[in-house]
Amino acid sequence: MALTETRPATDPAGSVADDTRTGPSQIEELIGSGDHLTIGRLYIGFSLLFMALAAAGLALAGVDSLSEDGLLGLTDALWSSSLVALVMMGALPLLLGLAVYIVPRQIGSAAIAFPRAAALSLWAWVVGAGIFAVGVALGGGVSGTDLEGAQLSSLSLGVMMAALSLGAICVATTVLSHRPIGMGLSKVPFFAWSMLVATPVWILTFGSTGAHIFLGWISEADALGLAEAWANGISWFLRVPSVYMLAIPALGIAADVVAKVAGRRIRQYGMVQGFIAAYAVLSFGAWTQTPRALQTFLWIGWVLLAAVPVVALLGVLGDTLRRGSPSAATSLIGSFLVFLLILGGVLAGALQALDTAGSGSLFGFDTMALEWAQGFFLFGAATTGALAGLAHWSPRIFGAPAPEGQGKGAVTAVLLGSGLLATAYLAEGLAGANEQSLGTEVFGALLAIGGALVLLGAVAGLAMTLSAARVGFDVPDPDDDTGLTLEWAPPGLPVAGVAQELAYVNSPYPLLDLRGDDDEERA
Amino acid sequence: MSDTPTVALDSRTPPPILPRRRELLFGTAFATAGAVMALATLLGAYLATRSATGDAWLSANNIELTQPNMMLLTIGMSAVTMQWAVWSINRDDRYHAYLALGVTLVLGAAFVNQTSFLYNLSAITIVQAEGPLFYAVTAGHLAMVVAGLIFLALMGFRTLGGQFTSRQPDGIGAAAIFWYACVALYPVIWFAVYVQK
Repeated sequence: MALTETRPATDPAGSVADDTRTGPSQIEELIGSGDHLTIGRLYIGFSLLFMALAAAGLALAGVDSLSEDGLLGLTDALWSSSLVALVMMGALPLLLGLAVYIVPRQIGSAAIAFPRAAALSLWAWVVGAGIFAVGVALGGGVSGTDLEGAQLSSLSLGVMMAALSLGAICVATTVLSHRPIGMGLSKVPFFAWSMLVATPVWILTFGSTGAHIFLGWISEADALGLAEAWANGISWFLRVPSVYMLAIPALGIAADVVAKVAGRRIRQYGMVQGFIAAYAVLSFGAWTQTPRALQTFLWIGWVLLAAVPVVALLGVLGDTLRRGSPSAATSLIGSFLVFLLILGGVLAGALQALDTAGSGSLFGFDTMALEWAQGFFLFGAATTGALAGLAHWSPRIFGAPAPEGQGKGAVTAVLLGSGLLATAYLAEGLAGANEQSLGTEVFGALLAIGGALVLLGAVAGLAMTLSAARVGFDVPDPDDDTGLTLEWAPPGLPVAGVAQELAYVNSPYPLLDLRGDDDEERA
Repeated sequence: MSDTPTVALDSRTPPPILPRRRELLFGTAFATAGAVMALATLLGAYLATRSATGDAWLSANNIELTQPNMMLLTIGMSAVTMQWAVWSINRDDRYHAYLALGVTLVLGAAFVNQTSFLYNLSAITIVQAEGPLFYAVTAGHLAMVVAGLIFLALMGFRTLGGQFTSRQPDGIGAAAIFWYACVALYPVIWFAVYVQK
């Protein structure tokens, strides 16, 4: 059996030498920790920080483009790298951090699978994100002109992709192998399920984009060559259908949030799992890398079909909510906004799909702008979902509920920011049909406002987590007698897990069953 | 047994059984999927570029088929010996498990050796137009094979240490998953790169 935890001391009696030994400092413990709770919290904190940094870069790029000559004299890399930075440094790691923390608890496991790999994933991503930021500042980024900056950015993008894939593998393996007896895959909570189905899609997508990064490196491409490698081989993961993959976990979060807030079990459990899985399958887009693939009916159908499971899931969750007595909590509001933003992305994708039918330019839309619109819609969906999840599970993650005001502020700011950015690009894309454009100044102003709103959302999210953490720092996990799934189990209640193999879970909502609440729907 | 009282969440508690965690199997399967996807993408890029280039592709180089054919045979045989190791460890036949792992390692090393010989023979340089894609595909696969050999060797040592038995054969199984992926990829590369040139 693999040694996954630090070996305990072999001399319990102690010795003179032991007395002189100093334990690791707090920083050393933090960096060396394989505890999924610590890793998850660090992922969440760093991702919000980096998201704020990327959003600030986008806002500055918008201000810079208010003048034709560049108002601030900044590099174009700030703008061209903003979306990929928001996704790879913000949205995806935020969702992953939430998963690293919550998913093992949802299935009653005391630990995450491969804890050291999870720690490696975190620190490799932090280093990668830092290097990417430096590369962009140097004028590199994903399509910059500075060779060293572009090389740094290319390398760090690959590192971030590998690190996030590794973290996702740890989470998915936990779901597959750490479940308690009786909890089949058909009974795992929705967030855990969504991470399980998202992981293969993320791995396959990043495996494919990673290959193009590798090709760029071994061909010793210059800055222009690296920019071409980005445009032709990597950027496709930020357009439909691949970009749908950002929001897969957000659907799982939404389903768990609605059930908990409504206090009702979701009746069509298997169907909801099926909807999430179908959406995940439809978000696999590595086969659409080449321009020719975009001129097929398969691509058009693939892009449009993604709306079906999303709308179906929305219907089921709406029905669940109708049967309960929900309050307008941040988590609930954020959960439903996820659907709005995903459908916005589908709309932008549908417009591009219709445009590429036939010869490839039926209406003459600016497809590049439409791709950016899809990216910002789905970034917004992923981030809104993550913030909703953060507010929802705050009592478990930070020991205290998240302040509602800051939570709602964060969700609203991200919704408005990403929505504004996406809408601006959507308008730009549609204007292309008449060979028109919004104008540099107007477009720059919209970018600046949108970037500033996302920045505000990230800062508000950070403030929300810090407030909850400060309040709950010395408080043990509070009891919550409204929880349905295992992550809400009171600390004193031994449930399933590594140390208690005897526990038997035979329901998607074990705590609801354990309470024996009046629940006429169980039958 | 721990003193901690255990609360069953369902009255139909089954008798205690030791669950097989299969962590390593699942983790390896996920990682293997990513590696296969990367190599498939490289191969796709290779084929697309070759198709666009036409007859001029690798016209200055001579790639013999003898070595690729032998490599195909070698790595094909290693799939059989790998399965032999899995079969043996599942039946606690440790002697045959060691033997099978050893033969697989030898066959893998032979594959690496033949690839190195083929590289020298074909004299494709990294600076020529075909170089980056040729080596991205073939050396990418070679890197997978080397990683597989290291994985196998590590699992072999752990088997020697008695860590894997019929009750816990996951290490050998995980190494086998990765190795089978290496084996399955090679016929595709053999046909697309070496046979079709």
